[in-house]
Amino acid sequence: MNVSEYTAARVSSELSENGEALVIRVAGSFDFNVHRDFQRAYQNLSPSPRQYCVDLSETLYLDSAALGMLLLLRDHCQNDGTGAEPVRVELLNANEHVGNILTISNFDKIFTIR
Amino acid sequence: MDQFRVLVIEGHAEESACLRQLLESFAEGGEGLRPVKFNVFGDVEAALTEYAALRPDVVIFGPQAAMDATADDLQRLRARAGVEPVPILCVMSESQSITSASLQSGCDDILLKPYNPSLIRLKLAALQRFCNFGRSLLAQRNRIRRHHADLLQEQASARQIFSNLGHESCLGQTEAIRYHLSPRAVLAGDVLAAAYGPGGKLMLLLGDFTGHGLAAAVGAVPLTSIFYSMVPKGFSLGHIVRELNTKLHNVLPADMFCCAVMLEFDPHKRHIRLFNAGMPSVCLRRGSGELRLLESRHLPLGVLDQASVDEAIIHIPVEDGDYLYLWSDGIHEARNLRGDLFGEERLMELLGTQVPEGRYFDRILSSVSRFSADQHDDLSLVEVALDDAAPWRGNGWVLEDGPAKRTPRLGDWSIHFTLGPEELRDADPLPLLHSVLAQVPGAGSFLDPLTIVLGELFRNALEHGLLGLDSNLKKTDHGFAEYYRQLNCGRRQLREGWIRITLRCRDRGGRGLLEVVVEDSGGGLPRQLFTGNAYSGRGLPLLRAICRKVQLEPGSSRVRAVLNWGEAAVPRKKTGTTAARQG
Repeated sequence: MNVSEYTAARVSSELSENGEALVIRVAGSFDFNVHRDFQRAYQNLSPSPRQYCVDLSETLYLDSAALGMLLLLRDHCQNDGTGAEPVRVELLNANEHVGNILTISNFDKIFTIR
Repeated sequence: MDQFRVLVIEGHAEESACLRQLLESFAEGGEGLRPVKFNVFGDVEAALTEYAALRPDVVIFGPQAAMDATADDLQRLRARAGVEPVPILCVMSESQSITSASLQSGCDDILLKPYNPSLIRLKLAALQRFCNFGRSLLAQRNRIRRHHADLLQEQASARQIFSNLGHESCLGQTEAIRYHLSPRAVLAGDVLAAAYGPGGKLMLLLGDFTGHGLAAAVGAVPLTSIFYSMVPKGFSLGHIVRELNTKLHNVLPADMFCCAVMLEFDPHKRHIRLFNAGMPSVCLRRGSGELRLLESRHLPLGVLDQASVDEAIIHIPVEDGDYLYLWSDGIHEARNLRGDLFGEERLMELLGTQVPEGRYFDRILSSVSRFSADQHDDLSLVEVALDDAAPWRGNGWVLEDGPAKRTPRLGDWSIHFTLGPEELRDADPLPLLHSVLAQVPGAGSFLDPLTIVLGELFRNALEHGLLGLDSNLKKTDHGFAEYYRQLNCGRRQLREGWIRITLRCRDRGGRGLLEVVVEDSGGGLPRQLFTGNAYSGRGLPLLRAICRKVQLEPGSSRVRAVLNWGEAAVPRKKTGTTAARQG
């Protein structure tokens, strides 16, 4: 059992005015509990955005299930990539702990991390 | 429709007749109340006897009985009801004060006398809804219990399957490897596999699948089956890792993957190759006390369809007294009561202090469990004492394949095998030769030394004959890494050249001679191989220990080794451990 108090995570998303860029924010613990909300944030958007950003500035913690969700997002974008330019997924503003997990997993090789 | 069952306790004839009359009026139900069926008993004892058969929804003490009812009576009635909440009502007259004894006996509610049938109907209907709710809650609880029992049964089966899968491992056979896997390891997705390849190379893999439960456990099946089928065939670390990655990419859903560390320890050349894909850094603790972290350099297995693993494999020479520590993120993420993480720093601190025994395994485990107040047990820890990790000890192999098979005949045959540049770029000819030789009768007992000889001669031809690499590079840690970088680079850029391997067997009455000749298209072996102590530091004495004859000359690109078939000796002792760095 996790002794620390569980902080309920919130997923919010924002589409730019021209509909080209989607920013998804995950606040709190990015883990299995948010998987439905996270998927809902990018599915069924028409037309599909050309750029996806996951803003991790308020993400306190990230586990392997979250890494899996990021891979699903990446798959979603690749299947969407019908246009000339490849669809980009960026991971932004990770704190030290979260950044460390992304580094260990070598996710910088398949995502743009800023 | 189901009836609403009422159990009445009243010994006084007049009072009980009065209650009967009241309850008869509810016999048809209606207004939210089910048809009421009731039984009247003169005292608590009689009621208790029939209780189980009647299974009442509510118990009513009549006015006389209520005055005599004790806390003990109510307790016994409640005990009969078990976990089902069966309300107990007491009839009281308006004149009785609410501090009366019957309230203190612990009833749930009271019915006032003289009776008001409409109010009592309302009360019974409310209780009935309460009972329904309680019942459905209990039914759900029972269903969850059943599912949980099924789940535990399935998990027990999964554990059983996994313990059987591990039967090929050498974990129980060597003292060099100490490990702790949590009892929940299988379902937490942690996997540990270890086996010796031909020639005595130790291969070990610690993996951690994403997610929990059966899905995580199922992924371990292809992982271990590939590991245990490829390691004994002599496949290289890179080949096995590529195969694992491709398989996991194909079978796992897109959001599942496996973080893994795999290492190969060559006890003859005394070096390790290590591949870390998404696991916490492995710690190499030198005999001198120096710590070196071997960090993850690759995406977890199963993420990419094509993994380029060669750049991510690191090569490190091993010295006397070196230990390797591998762990899953369970250790990093163990938390104390305040919520602090155990973290890598604490681990490094532990490994940095000197303890007389030189073994840190127990210290790490006990301090993690002290730190987390024993609340955590989903961590995996592995310690490899590299000094003892060879499959032989003293005068014999620790791991025997079973009794040696006597073979009547070996036959006279020869194999010529030529590899062109395309093949030399990434193919590994040894597993292929190995599988051919495995078909030859009597080759079983011979494969280990032959694998060592073939491996040595092939690498010699490739690294020094064709690519002209300088073994002197390997004298420093940095140079060691550089050597393997050059090797990878050189192999990928091969456009011409060949290596030819010839095996010739001659039968001499059940014993025989096996001649191994390896030639390459290079300009001949460099002189420093013979003068310097680099190659001769370990390779040559090793070959001489195994073979009856070894012929190699500077300037020549042909090496010939002769083995005595049937009585070949595998080196029983560590060779050249004092010349620590050269490989």
